[in-house]
Amino acid sequence: MMYNYGVLGMKASSYRLGLICLLLYVLLIGAACAAKSDEEDEDEITFRDFSLNIGDRINLDDYQMELIEIQSLRDGLVVLRVSRVGGSLDEQRALLLDSPNNFDGGAEKGGVTITITDIFDEQSARVRLEYEQKLGTPRKRASDRPAAMPEKPELLVQKSFDRNEMHVGDEVKVTITIRNTGTGTANDIDVQDIPPLPEFTYIAGYPPKIKETLDSGQSDSAVYILNAAREGSVQIPAVVVSYADSKKNSKSNSSEPFSIIIRPKSKADLVINVEDTAPLVLDEEGLLNISISNQGSASATRIEATGEVSPSDGLEIKGLDKSFFEIPPGDAANFSASISGHKRGIYTIRLKVSYDDGDGSVIREATSRAVVLKREYKYQYLLVIIPIIIVSAWIYRRHREYKY
Amino acid sequence: MLNVLMLGVGQCGNRILDAMNKEAFGGGGASKLAKYYLRPKFPSRVETLAINTAVNDLKELRFTTAKDRLHVPNLHGVGANRNVGKQAFMENRDMIMGEIEKRGDFDIAFVITSTSGGTGSSFSPLLINELKRQYKDIAVITVAILPFREEGSIYLQNAAFSMRELMEVDAEGIILADNQYMKRFSGDIASAYDKINNMIAQRLLFLIESLDSEMLSVTDLGDFKTVMNGGLRIGTMGFYQADSKNLSIRDAIENSLKPGNLLYPANVADDAARAMIIIQGSREHLDVDEITKAVERLSASAGHVFKGIVVKKGRPKILSVFTLASAPELEGIYAQAARAMQDEKEKRTRARKQLDDAFAHIEDLEEIY
Repeated sequence: MMYNYGVLGMKASSYRLGLICLLLYVLLIGAACAAKSDEEDEDEITFRDFSLNIGDRINLDDYQMELIEIQSLRDGLVVLRVSRVGGSLDEQRALLLDSPNNFDGGAEKGGVTITITDIFDEQSARVRLEYEQKLGTPRKRASDRPAAMPEKPELLVQKSFDRNEMHVGDEVKVTITIRNTGTGTANDIDVQDIPPLPEFTYIAGYPPKIKETLDSGQSDSAVYILNAAREGSVQIPAVVVSYADSKKNSKSNSSEPFSIIIRPKSKADLVINVEDTAPLVLDEEGLLNISISNQGSASATRIEATGEVSPSDGLEIKGLDKSFFEIPPGDAANFSASISGHKRGIYTIRLKVSYDDGDGSVIREATSRAVVLKREYKYQYLLVIIPIIIVSAWIYRRHREYKY
Repeated sequence: MLNVLMLGVGQCGNRILDAMNKEAFGGGGASKLAKYYLRPKFPSRVETLAINTAVNDLKELRFTTAKDRLHVPNLHGVGANRNVGKQAFMENRDMIMGEIEKRGDFDIAFVITSTSGGTGSSFSPLLINELKRQYKDIAVITVAILPFREEGSIYLQNAAFSMRELMEVDAEGIILADNQYMKRFSGDIASAYDKINNMIAQRLLFLIESLDSEMLSVTDLGDFKTVMNGGLRIGTMGFYQADSKNLSIRDAIENSLKPGNLLYPANVADDAARAMIIIQGSREHLDVDEITKAVERLSASAGHVFKGIVVKKGRPKILSVFTLASAPELEGIYAQAARAMQDEKEKRTRARKQLDDAFAHIEDLEEIY
């Protein structure tokens, strides 16, 4: 759209002036409003969070706030000291976590309001400071004092079996060891071992007894003896130890769970090996080698070996009856019996071994065969050959004698 | 114990020696294989040696050990030529005598030879001379075998000259055996030879055994030498073994002197000069009276008779050895030999003349080419 400035020339200058006057008015009104809001801002309450270690201070105007100690992590109690230059305020107060605490009437009344918003550990906590802005900007001053070592007990608990595999009936020794690896004394130590497991019968030492107090670096252990009662894979639960530090803070720790295997009851298993002897010639002596090996998992005891020969006459055996007190598992008892044949034939030697396999008396048998041959005349053929050789040599000699 | 040397010279001598060795294994009953399992069993210490120029003749021997066969190297024999034989002996005399010397000293030596062959007839006289020269006290007896008359003029000639030389040497005597006479024992010549050889061997061994035995009535080597020195120093042997039907010792003695049991044809009653009768048998057969009567009867014709009695289990065996005062059969041989030599000479002269006449046809002619 096109304006016709020629027609409207006189009226445009008056409009312009009016517009300028309007702008100036608006500016003046705005400036007045701005002055009034500044006055209101200085009374406005603001806040700021600080992370403080013990000994750290916050300075705000005349106020000075210092973190004295973390009194109780568990209860959320932090001790804070608030003072004011001039001595009008000097107060040390235990502040509860997340509970605002007013000093000098609180921020609403020109004082300060302090809230513990978080307790990191026994050395530090987060503090929220609320104040009027007119008090200025709070400044944090770190403590020049070295941080005191906190007294913090740390108990490690360990539960162990003296072997991971056992047989039903085996005794097993369980050791529970508590070690204080922390820096403070652990008090009110209480070990909670899982109630007796059904796979075991408890013989002695249960429940385990551990000292109630363990200084830093100290350890204590308790041993109890179980008897494996039922085969299978057994998950051994963790042992829980609970304790308290010097500030009565309760703590607990537990051992790692693990599993053990209980195998069926171990028994001795004797295997008898009677070697077949080489064929014997009449009245020749030979050896019968016998080996009784224990291929079971328990010792065999009271072993009695007795032998008998069938047919009963014609083969003489000496040293076949033997007794042994014990053959440990994996071990073997070897012995030899001398045999001599007086009548040709095939003989059966039956060896009976009775023993106690740990669960009762057991009998094992083994048989061997002995062959007694007719007397062999090894060089009988020489009776023919030698005379032939002699006669041949003689004839040849005589032939040479007469050969011309 | 007598030490006896038996020398078989030439093919005939070798074979008789081999027969003696066979006899030593057990006589005619001995198997051909006896030598492989037996030792020769001579009655005395007897050493045998077969000497020949023909190696093939030596190879034919079966019972003589190789070491007792002496080959005198002269190609293959002397071809019945006594002159060649003599030359061969002289050339090998030391070797021959060395071989004999190796066998030790001897009391008596028997030189067994054919009179007609080449090697035996030529070697024997020379060998006897050497034995006599080398062994001072040795008694050498020649056992000379006369040939079949039909064997040829050379053999007769050899026999004639050989006998003469054997008579001339200083031997104790000659025991003659005549093949012609003994041929009657067998139909064929080959078996006759074997029988003659065995017969001579058997008698010689009987003689040796008797001379070396303890006798009931003693004869010994000295008696034997005396017998052999009697008459012409040519003798022969008779032998008889009583059969089970007639065990009379007297008959046995008389039978041993019968022509049929002699080695050379002789009439003992007429021709015997000295004799030796050796009687062997079981004591029950040896009737001394009978023996004495038989010997006395012989003594009446033969001059002196030595008798020896050997008690040995068995039927009576008689060996009679006697020398001859005359040998008419020898004369016959010489006459036959002379005729044969004359005939040979005439034949040769005739042939020479015929040849000369033939050559006369070309006497004045020259070869023309």
